[in-house]
Amino acid sequence: MIEMESSLLSFAKASEKETSVLIQVKDVDIYYGENHAVRQVNMPIHERSITALIGPSGCGKSTFIRTINRMNDLIPTARCEGHIDYHGINILSPKVDVVKLRKEIGMVFQQPNPFPKTISENIQLPLKFAGVRNKRKLKDVTEQCLKQVTLWDEVKDRLDRSATGLSGGQQQRLCIARALALKPGVILLDEPTSALDPVSTAKIEELLLQLKKDYTIVIVTHNMQQAARIADYTAFFYQGELVEFGTTKKLFTQPEKKDTADYIAGRFG
Amino acid sequence: MSSKVTNRIALSVIILCACILVGTLAALLGYILVQGVTSISWDFLTSPSSPFMAGGGIKDQLWNSLYVLIITMILTVPIGVCGGIYLAEYARPGKLTSFIRSCVEVLASLPSIVVGMFGMLIFVNYFGWRYSVLSGALALTVFNLPVIVRVTEDGFRSLPRHQKEGGLALGLTHWHTIKTILLPAAFPSILTGIILSAGRVFGESAALLFTAGLTTPNLDFTNWNPSAPNSPLNMFRSAETLSVHIWSVNTSGIIPDIEKVANGSAAVLVICVLLFNLFARAVGKMINQKLSGRH
Repeated sequence: MIEMESSLLSFAKASEKETSVLIQVKDVDIYYGENHAVRQVNMPIHERSITALIGPSGCGKSTFIRTINRMNDLIPTARCEGHIDYHGINILSPKVDVVKLRKEIGMVFQQPNPFPKTISENIQLPLKFAGVRNKRKLKDVTEQCLKQVTLWDEVKDRLDRSATGLSGGQQQRLCIARALALKPGVILLDEPTSALDPVSTAKIEELLLQLKKDYTIVIVTHNMQQAARIADYTAFFYQGELVEFGTTKKLFTQPEKKDTADYIAGRFG
Repeated sequence: MSSKVTNRIALSVIILCACILVGTLAALLGYILVQGVTSISWDFLTSPSSPFMAGGGIKDQLWNSLYVLIITMILTVPIGVCGGIYLAEYARPGKLTSFIRSCVEVLASLPSIVVGMFGMLIFVNYFGWRYSVLSGALALTVFNLPVIVRVTEDGFRSLPRHQKEGGLALGLTHWHTIKTILLPAAFPSILTGIILSAGRVFGESAALLFTAGLTTPNLDFTNWNPSAPNSPLNMFRSAETLSVHIWSVNTSGIIPDIEKVANGSAAVLVICVLLFNLFARAVGKMINQKLSGRH
């Protein structure tokens, strides 16, 4: 078992360096109606690094990540208590302008969700809404974003074709490109590769390792190997609680809690 | 019984039902067209009807049908689509919303003769618009509006949830997400609903008997001033539509060629609905392609 874990870690970052904390989560509780879905979460999210949230299905990891850009506001029964501090502002405060917040903290979902529009419109839509009118600028940003996700060479001749004609992996990279267009500070990814094949998954993982040079990334994954391969920090959720948080290396080699050890050893979940 | 046999039986029953459906439709269409096509001529389409002599046409009735349809659609589509968006996107689930929704359903299934009587009492008598294009279009609005609300709401609800989340997660406002992402995505299904309802409006007679009337003034197709009493565009003149014409010729006509006129009108009505469907579909496909890009 130990051997397997260390082989997982051969992918992980050798250059682990301390980075400053960008988001501080303090005593967060999330309820769906009567159901106390997430309990007392405290954790930091470090700048320009990848933080993975792992745990078995229904452990609250997706619920938690959707709180960071207030996507849970869409669910009428969802309620959230506690603090998530970002640049000194409590994201969870009702005074926060969620539209502005989501420009700053972008999100990519499990199911690739390109809009049924052309490839370039998919990227330009948020820009146009943000008030960019200059055609030259729109074109440049489109190209730049598509290059960042290594999609440019594949689609540069069909930017005016429908985005729904792309393969699943291409669609997901387009969705990431779209989230990058507004130059957010943080990108949240909710199981971004679970609907994709292994080759597309590998491409996205490589991409995330590139992106963390400029962006802070939080990723939910049910795939421990994925967390081990790309994440700098890992948080293990179980039954609505944050069981353990630490550097990926520490969490996978010297877990402090028994549940964590059992989960990463594949004994449940 | 083995599952294979069950499967065969189910398949046969489904095919049988499909055959009955197609057969009925083909028979009905074939009958109407075969009976009527011979009476259709350029002259029939472009000459006014005659009250008691043979050889009358349906020019005015055809125009009235189209005109009432257009006015009804102008009244119902914008309000209906907005109402549907409200119910699908903004209305909070609760007693009031479900009350509104059941009102919409009841309104959509009202018998059209009842709508006609209501239209007569309100638009014709109370507002004093007499038998007119406007009264007719408003009566049709009463039962077409809920249909449009319904198809719009269904169109929005059938969209995958992640489309909406995708828009909001990009920092778009709710309204902007609706306008730029959800409405274009729901457009094909809304259009189909509008086409179907337009067919119903075009063929409606009972609701128009007492609202648009059974007569048409002598229309002067060179006078397009909407306020002139004999202008085709005048909204306050009575307007017998094609389907009302079929009914009135058959029940109380004294012209010698009743059968010819009735059959011809029926065929024209059916052909118009078919053409209208084809045309709307073609336009819809074009708009959809423009909105979503080529595949």
